[in-house]
Amino acid sequence: MPLEPFATSAPLTFGVELELQLVSLSDFDLTPASPDLMHLLKRKPFPGNVTPEITESMIEINSSVQTDYRTLLAELLEIRDTLVAAGDVLNIGIAGGGTHPFQHWSEQRISAKPRYQELSALYGYLAKQFTVFGQHVHIGCASGDDALFLLHALSRYIPHFIALSASSPFVQGHDSGFDSARLNSVSAFPLSGRAPFTLSWADFADVYFAKMERTRIIRSMKDFYWDLRPKPEYGTIELRVCDTPLTVERAAALAAYLQALCRHLLERKEAPPLEDDYLVYNYNRFQASRFGLDGVITHPKTYEQLPLREDIIATLDLMEPHAQALGSLDALLHLAATASDGGDASFLRGQHERQGSTEGMVDAAIRRFRGR
Amino acid sequence: MQEFLSVLTSLAWPFAITLAWLVGEFGQRWTGLPRISFYGLVGFILAAPQLGVLPLPEGGTTLLLADVGFGLILFELGYRINLRWLRTNPWIGITGLVEAGLTFVGVYLVANAFGAALIDRLMLASLSMATSPATVVRVINEQKSSGQVTERALHLCALNCVLAVFAFNATVGLWIFRTFEDVGDALWNSLVVLGVSAFTGAVFGLVVPGVLRLLGKLAQDATVAFALAVILLVAITYALGLSPVVAALAFGLTARHRRVAFSQAQRNFGALGELLTVVLFVFAASTLDWRRVWAGAALAVALVLVRLIAKTAGVTAFAHLSGISWRKGMLTGVALTPLSVFVILLIEHARHAGVQVVEELRAVAAVTMLLEVFGPIILQRALVWAREAPESHHAA
Repeated sequence: MPLEPFATSAPLTFGVELELQLVSLSDFDLTPASPDLMHLLKRKPFPGNVTPEITESMIEINSSVQTDYRTLLAELLEIRDTLVAAGDVLNIGIAGGGTHPFQHWSEQRISAKPRYQELSALYGYLAKQFTVFGQHVHIGCASGDDALFLLHALSRYIPHFIALSASSPFVQGHDSGFDSARLNSVSAFPLSGRAPFTLSWADFADVYFAKMERTRIIRSMKDFYWDLRPKPEYGTIELRVCDTPLTVERAAALAAYLQALCRHLLERKEAPPLEDDYLVYNYNRFQASRFGLDGVITHPKTYEQLPLREDIIATLDLMEPHAQALGSLDALLHLAATASDGGDASFLRGQHERQGSTEGMVDAAIRRFRGR
Repeated sequence: MQEFLSVLTSLAWPFAITLAWLVGEFGQRWTGLPRISFYGLVGFILAAPQLGVLPLPEGGTTLLLADVGFGLILFELGYRINLRWLRTNPWIGITGLVEAGLTFVGVYLVANAFGAALIDRLMLASLSMATSPATVVRVINEQKSSGQVTERALHLCALNCVLAVFAFNATVGLWIFRTFEDVGDALWNSLVVLGVSAFTGAVFGLVVPGVLRLLGKLAQDATVAFALAVILLVAITYALGLSPVVAALAFGLTARHRRVAFSQAQRNFGALGELLTVVLFVFAASTLDWRRVWAGAALAVALVLVRLIAKTAGVTAFAHLSGISWRKGMLTGVALTPLSVFVILLIEHARHAGVQVVEELRAVAAVTMLLEVFGPIILQRALVWAREAPESHHAA
């Protein structure tokens, strides 16, 4: 089946998906509670949308399509409060964070949905190891060509999003040394990484996608696990590198930052994206997930070494007029503070130190998500 | 010959425990049924009144050992109780009071219909309120189950055990005073036992995590430290005539609310817990005499049924209000069926307190035997039907 045409959507509209952890308040481990939670949530209208995920200890929430940062934040806060209240009824803690610090992948249960069962059959233990939690941000694009332009132009900024959202330092009970260990789980999938370089939608759909389809390795865009992928049915591109932050406030701020960046890039004042930009892509991505805000990236055009924190702060400054126009200055201020004070990964490490246990750390993440 | 017999006697317990463990492992593999059902069966068959392999239970060391095994399980149960939940969802607490209350009334009426004496009726009714924490914790761990039925079974079990200890102590108090004028005294006495036991446990719950923090070895050494502390706590409550049940529960509860690591790998207290569980279940079943079981069988079946109905009705009634489906509510009620071990230990303690009346409670022995074997199976089924136990752990 050929790739569907790129749907039209209003440029720079945006939406957020968050994968969240369901934690047993008895022992702070993940608990396969999504069927119980979904049952309870069906009883009254839910703001936004909530769906089960690949394992039963995860759920995904998504906002509706928004144009404005403040309404997005308001919606995410409402979703959060509804979830937290439902969790209280069922003795379930709800938390952000890219990984659960001590869950054992082998104990996770794959959801009953046929697609997830298929994935599990294909990927084996990778599917259960995919019990990691990410934030996805969709940005509306006027056309398929615009989408591919944005997708490749954004590649230089991917480390910003990794570092600002990094919240998965612990894996299987131990400090991994990475700020975002979650990304390593994603990399294990054969169809992960970056999208092929083309700026023309016709080329992408009729040549690349058509060839890939003939290989019978893929059937739809869903089979690609790229860091950034076009989503023709929504008319968007989807950023997939972020860990789910510990708070919805940060999730909304990250979305607003992406929106501002896209507005900036669409002015096409920067040098256009090239295949060669990807020479440094994987290493920069590694720096951001390994060292977070303390990473050092290489500029894809000048090969200049840039401390990531400084590059982020400089870019946030540059985005100010766009944020002014989009009404998201508060979001950039939030991220500037994050860049200088340290992100969720350092918060979690601090809690581990203070509480003396990974259980205490999960408890702190749950309380942070509640906003109290 | 005498020497040979004494050698045989000294071999009886190690032999029984090894056999029970083997039967548990193979039985579980072949039938998919919980191991503890088999431990109970082996204990019962090898007991003095049956095959006579095991000596008559005389309390002392074996009872203390069984108490320690039970203490470890109660600590773990307490550790999994979230008091805050009872505040954020008050329907859980109400469910607990109603199901235990209904059970008390139901069992009292049935015992009355069978013509049991007042004191027997009261004792039966108070014992029946409890759900066996040993069975609940072990089966849930063995099935690796997780979900609302699991959570609620754990919380309701803790709640109804405390209620049962209270009611049972009040009844024993009543029996000792022998008159109804002293009801107030008996209740007060029971409350004091409950309070002092909980306080002792709570002190442990504060001190042990504190010591672990001082040592800076929260993660590695928590299991050994907690196990030693439970042994000490059980010994102290034993010596002071307090309730080890309530003390160990309070210990776990306090430790948990101090957020001290007790990781998944240490569930069941590892190998030590496994071993003591075998001892506990073999011991409990070995105190039973088939003649008494048989004599009380009719009443026992009636009691098991009325208890099942009361608990299921009590929990189901509040299912919707407390946020789960009617079906899961009903399954939670069914999951509260196991009784067994808890009752035996309470009775053994009452015997030590000089209450001989329990000897006449034939039905208790029969109920115990029935539920020793069937309780874990019923609980396991409830968890499987609720889809809370992963498929691969089911029976074929």
